[in-house]
Amino acid sequence: MTFTDTLLLAFRNLRQSRLRTSLTTLGVAIGIASLAGMVSLGVGLQEQVVGRLTQSGVFDSITVTSGRANIPGMGGMGLGRVAGRGGRGGRGNATPAPPAAPLDDAAVARFAALSHVRDAYPTLRIPMSYTFDGRTNAALAAGIPESSRGEGAFQTITHGAFFPDATSPSLMLSLDMAQQLNADAPGSLVGQTLELSYADSASNAAGTPEFVAGVQVTRVSRPFTIVGIVERDPAPGASLGLSAIMIPLEQARAINARAIANPQAFLQGAAPQTRRYTAVTVRVTSAANTQDVQDQIKAMGFTAFSLNDALQGAKRAFLLLDILLALVGSVALAVSSLGIVNTMVMSILERTREIGIMKAIGGSDRDVRGIFLVEAATIGLIGGVAGIVLGWGVGRLINIGANIYIERQGGTAGDLFSLPWWLILGAMVFALLVSLVAGSFPARRAARLDPIQALRHE
Amino acid sequence: MGGTIVKALDDLSLDVADGEFLALVGTSGSGKSTLLNLIGGLDQPSAGSLEVQGRDLARMSRDELSLHRRNTVGMIFQSFNLVPSMTAVENVALSLMFAGVPRAERDQRASALLETMGLGGRQRHRPKELSGGEQQRVAVARALANQPPLLLADEPTGNLDSRTSCEIMDLVRTLNERDGKTVILVTHDAALAAAYARRTVTLLDGNVISDTGAVLERA
Repeated sequence: MTFTDTLLLAFRNLRQSRLRTSLTTLGVAIGIASLAGMVSLGVGLQEQVVGRLTQSGVFDSITVTSGRANIPGMGGMGLGRVAGRGGRGGRGNATPAPPAAPLDDAAVARFAALSHVRDAYPTLRIPMSYTFDGRTNAALAAGIPESSRGEGAFQTITHGAFFPDATSPSLMLSLDMAQQLNADAPGSLVGQTLELSYADSASNAAGTPEFVAGVQVTRVSRPFTIVGIVERDPAPGASLGLSAIMIPLEQARAINARAIANPQAFLQGAAPQTRRYTAVTVRVTSAANTQDVQDQIKAMGFTAFSLNDALQGAKRAFLLLDILLALVGSVALAVSSLGIVNTMVMSILERTREIGIMKAIGGSDRDVRGIFLVEAATIGLIGGVAGIVLGWGVGRLINIGANIYIERQGGTAGDLFSLPWWLILGAMVFALLVSLVAGSFPARRAARLDPIQALRHE
Repeated sequence: MGGTIVKALDDLSLDVADGEFLALVGTSGSGKSTLLNLIGGLDQPSAGSLEVQGRDLARMSRDELSLHRRNTVGMIFQSFNLVPSMTAVENVALSLMFAGVPRAERDQRASALLETMGLGGRQRHRPKELSGGEQQRVAVARALANQPPLLLADEPTGNLDSRTSCEIMDLVRTLNERDGKTVILVTHDAALAAAYARRTVTLLDGNVISDTGAVLERA
């Protein structure tokens, strides 16, 4: 018998017991819907979490520090994980590790020359004080490179705009900071001037000379124009410290070049032009390249760290969640597979005589088995398609409800359920496999029926 | 059944020649139907051998038996055994379907066969819309669909009135005489056997007690 004829007979059998077929198919649909819905929820949640993190630029940036275990200066603050990495490098001292390379402008240029690197710049956090409305407070000013324009935290600027150019004395404030300065209308700060004071190692006519640890330090004050206010933390990864004030990287470089930010380097007599940085940020073109670039930088003798490791961990955790959700969803499918077995056994009982006739006129075991397997597979396939549609629909409804709740709680609405093509395909294949397994026992029973007894069956 | 071995046929030996019209007669339980089912490949002997066209059915696999039922024998039954949900033409085409005949060809062949059975206008009817005689003629058409050399009939007139019985038996005789089909007819009706069969074998408790053909040969 040809496969087309098997289909023909199977479909005609299914048509003849329409009610039973549809009920069984509905059972499979509910099973698949619950399975696909659960996995879809897991995938959706993962995309929500990982997607937001990826968008924030956390995973395409690498923080490079010098190979030495102890990082002096301000770069050390909050860099616990980096220090931990350094500690590991320190342990590596027992076996000769690559010599610590100086983290200077030459190193930055080498990082920038690596393939898949979009930008490399020193991570500068400069201690400053600012004066506004006659009050003076301390803050860290972060140097923000031009390459950050329109990216990550700067995709949306709450008030105002990004720096007009790479060098102008302009600044952006975090929304928190802006609210501290003007709680009622932080937006009105845009266009105003903020006086920033910082330490300068050379004497300046405008500054007041002081002595710090026997070194002449001048306090310099300069007006900066507030151009923008940013809501999100612009320094992804809290380990780098929150930056209340952001100034163009070139401004930060110039200030840093003259500051005593690294007393150790200063005491070693390093000239300002070979000044070493405590940390350098390397941005790669996509998160997929992070690991590769990170390894290359490590090979140069630096300590490199990215949140990519954490992302891998998060992905593993989500995989576990997916498996757990899939197991819960499978319970309904297991029940519906029993429904298939039941339907097929009933169908065989009803059609025993017909099976006898088919065998008497030359139908082989394989022909009979094929008919019943195709019947089960058809129930599985239609149930699979209906289940995907059902699962998608229910997911949409839950999503709408959940988003109303989330927005009422002040959160950002998003898709809690995600239905990627592999899930659709996988659910269909799974539905087919489950129905084939469920149908194989009844089909085998039908195939082995004794024709004489089957013909006597009423 | 139930652990007890029932010997339906015991120490039975029978030769049937090509083109014969043989009747197996006997009371119920004599083993005549069992013998027919064995020849038809619906059952397999627990011992001994049974050769049809030189091939031993006792040693055939399940697949080989299904091929035997498909191509070598055509069976008709007392209760017709048509698939109730299928039309006359579909019932006939079903056996061609198992033989792998393409759809257009099998429909055409089934239709032509029904035509020769005098059922030209009844092709789209389902069994319950047909009279007993018509149903049995559909069954005969189905039995002939794969052009088997052997036609096995198990009480084919058991559910028919006498006039229809004659029509069916005339049809079977024509198939034997005109088309050269070997016919084995199982019946409890000795008169029917005598009227149509050229050789009658009488069974009792699984043994041959008389064989008119054998008598003729000896004579």
